[in-house]
Amino acid sequence: MSTVPTRAPARAHRTTEPEPPAERRHRERQWPAYVFLTPWMTGAAVLTLVPMAVSLYLSFTDYNLFDPPQWVGLRNYQEMLTEDPRFWRSVGTTLLYVVVAVPLKLLLALGAALLLRSLGRGRAFYRSAFYAPSLLGASMSIALVWRALFNDGGSVSQVLSAVGIDVGGWVGDPDLAVFVVVLLTVWQFGAPMVIFLAGLQQISPDLYEAAALDGAGRWRQFVSVTVPMLSPVVFFNLVLEMIQSFQVFTPAFAVSGGDGGPADSTMFYTLYLYERGFTASHMGYAAAMAWLLLIVIGVITLILFRTSRSWVFYADTEGR
Amino acid sequence: MPEFRSGRRRHPGRRAVLAAAAVGLSTALTATLSACSAASDTASEEITLTFSWWGNDDRSERTKKAVRLFEREHPGVTVRTSNADFGSYMQKLATQAAGGGIPDVAQLDYRQISQYAGGGTLLPLDDAVADGTIRTSEIDEEFLRTGTYEDEQFAIPAGRGITGYAYDAGIYKKAGIPTPRPDWTWQDWAAANRKIATLGLKSPDGRAVAGANDNGPNEDIFENWVRSRGGQLYASQTKLGFTEDDLTEFWTFCDTLREEGSVAQAEDTAQAKTTETSPIGRGLAAADYTWDAPFPGYAALLGDDLHFAPVPTTDGRQGAYFKPSMLLGIGANSEHPEEATALVDFLLNDPRAGDALGFTRSTPPNREIAARVAKTLEGPEREIYEYALRMEKYGLDAPPTAPPRGDVAIQTAFKRAYHRVMYELTSPRQAAREFFDEANRELRS
Repeated sequence: MSTVPTRAPARAHRTTEPEPPAERRHRERQWPAYVFLTPWMTGAAVLTLVPMAVSLYLSFTDYNLFDPPQWVGLRNYQEMLTEDPRFWRSVGTTLLYVVVAVPLKLLLALGAALLLRSLGRGRAFYRSAFYAPSLLGASMSIALVWRALFNDGGSVSQVLSAVGIDVGGWVGDPDLAVFVVVLLTVWQFGAPMVIFLAGLQQISPDLYEAAALDGAGRWRQFVSVTVPMLSPVVFFNLVLEMIQSFQVFTPAFAVSGGDGGPADSTMFYTLYLYERGFTASHMGYAAAMAWLLLIVIGVITLILFRTSRSWVFYADTEGR
Repeated sequence: MPEFRSGRRRHPGRRAVLAAAAVGLSTALTATLSACSAASDTASEEITLTFSWWGNDDRSERTKKAVRLFEREHPGVTVRTSNADFGSYMQKLATQAAGGGIPDVAQLDYRQISQYAGGGTLLPLDDAVADGTIRTSEIDEEFLRTGTYEDEQFAIPAGRGITGYAYDAGIYKKAGIPTPRPDWTWQDWAAANRKIATLGLKSPDGRAVAGANDNGPNEDIFENWVRSRGGQLYASQTKLGFTEDDLTEFWTFCDTLREEGSVAQAEDTAQAKTTETSPIGRGLAAADYTWDAPFPGYAALLGDDLHFAPVPTTDGRQGAYFKPSMLLGIGANSEHPEEATALVDFLLNDPRAGDALGFTRSTPPNREIAARVAKTLEGPEREIYEYALRMEKYGLDAPPTAPPRGDVAIQTAFKRAYHRVMYELTSPRQAAREFFDEANRELRS
């Protein structure tokens, strides 16, 4: 789409003004773009590509911040996969978190978006109100407040014991601590909600009108019109949230006080990576963990894209 | 067509860009050149040292005061100071070390010495100690040795700390427990906790009051326990100094006390991060294991009934020892090692610096200065000073040399392994085995 209008005048040049070589002219018109892109490209190279390459190299070494790195081949990867029980526990914790938090968050976001769509006045207010946690949620301070809420004697345990559920502080209970982090994430449903809302508003009212004329009830309309028309947005949110959830760090760090406790119950993958690298100074091992995570997220994203062909419906490609 | 014209019109613009770039470049060059000349003009006279430490505001103010005295004494030397809390300081220093330059003078933790010295980050101080540039005659010899790595001096202890139990004397009295003496045993300690638990006291939120904190996750307590039985934490830089059976016995001891309610419960131990959130801080226990330097903080929070009890013994043998609460080292790449050694010497041995610093890094290692400053102490601070004197008289075994490189990771592994026992996810024996696996892996690498 976007390439067509920019190319058309270029072709016009070549035919109407033949004297200077067309190639050179083409380059002449491109260089300002590259000049303007320089800061970004320098940044991407220096701050992203180079560190990534270094990290890949370090993942094959025993680098510990102090001594020059020694090449150890696949030793880090091997130790991770075969000798480290904590690695596998952190994988388990992270998977549990992704499988619980992502669907919950998306369902809540979709529910709120549907409610907001049917709301006339005040929609803007509620949209902002629901969105606010997404702006605040990633911060350390909110995570600390969250920790205080779920501590022993915190508001949550007080309210729960007032209605007869006596579980004490969640933060000190290895079965519940992970759900403090899950709830903190789910509470930030505002960001996918805004995207859902935009998606819902894109759906043509004609479709609902036609469905209503054919005698479809509200539920039928939701299943046969809203869900398929919204599926690209669901897909987008799903991929985005999944990628983010695999990398959850700040809330777990704050809720556990940085140690992934109690008894490793909030020791998420990235937290364990951080501990290996910065507390135990095994930077090589931490780099290997980071690369494995990148690969796993890449593979899962690929699988999602593959399966999406069978359930994501793109209205504009229909009939081609 | 129109696009072509605009393309032509761009040429002056391009020249303008080049001109601007040229101007910018020459400005930058001039700035650099003048900066160079400024630096070379004054290099012969002005020296800037960097000095960093971790700690609270009180320590920061006192240290800056001492540094200003040093600057007055050494005209032409400016000391740029920086400080942070412990956690971020550790990470920052490690990153600086990786980048090739820690500050000229840096406060170090006992656990960092091996790693930093072994990695060539610290300047050897043997010559400075030998020729008296850093005076150590008033520092206990065995204590000074805590700053060595492979028999070379790399850091000088800047404060001397010792462990004990902050305890509520009121509750001890109510339970009929005599004031703990330096020779009380671990059995006496366990019996005291049982007595307190059977009193049936209630905490502010209505829960039972236990005797003390749970010792299980704390490697420091285990070290005291194992030393009192003639063992040690590390036999060498690559080997643990105790057996799986020792650790199993220690954890079984802790596990039993916790199960019967004599010490703090699992969720309270897991949530204890500060004095305020410790079991004693929340009114859930009558005692808490801690270091001498933070003890005044307990007393401030919990009142005059709070006193400092010795670590229990095994048949009279004390496992507690005087440990450097922090050390001072000099960066291997320091451009002004002479001035840096002078600063270290000044902070440790100058009476005026001693007055300014007080007990902010625990007991000053220089005996004369400690005695001089102690005269001004009162209340809880006086109590810990006297406690240290009493323990010195009672007789403590020599402190171990700096722990091996893997120690930081091993300490966290220790805590985590016991947490799994505490939440009944595993048995003491199984946890000890897991800990040994992990520790040996750390010591090997």
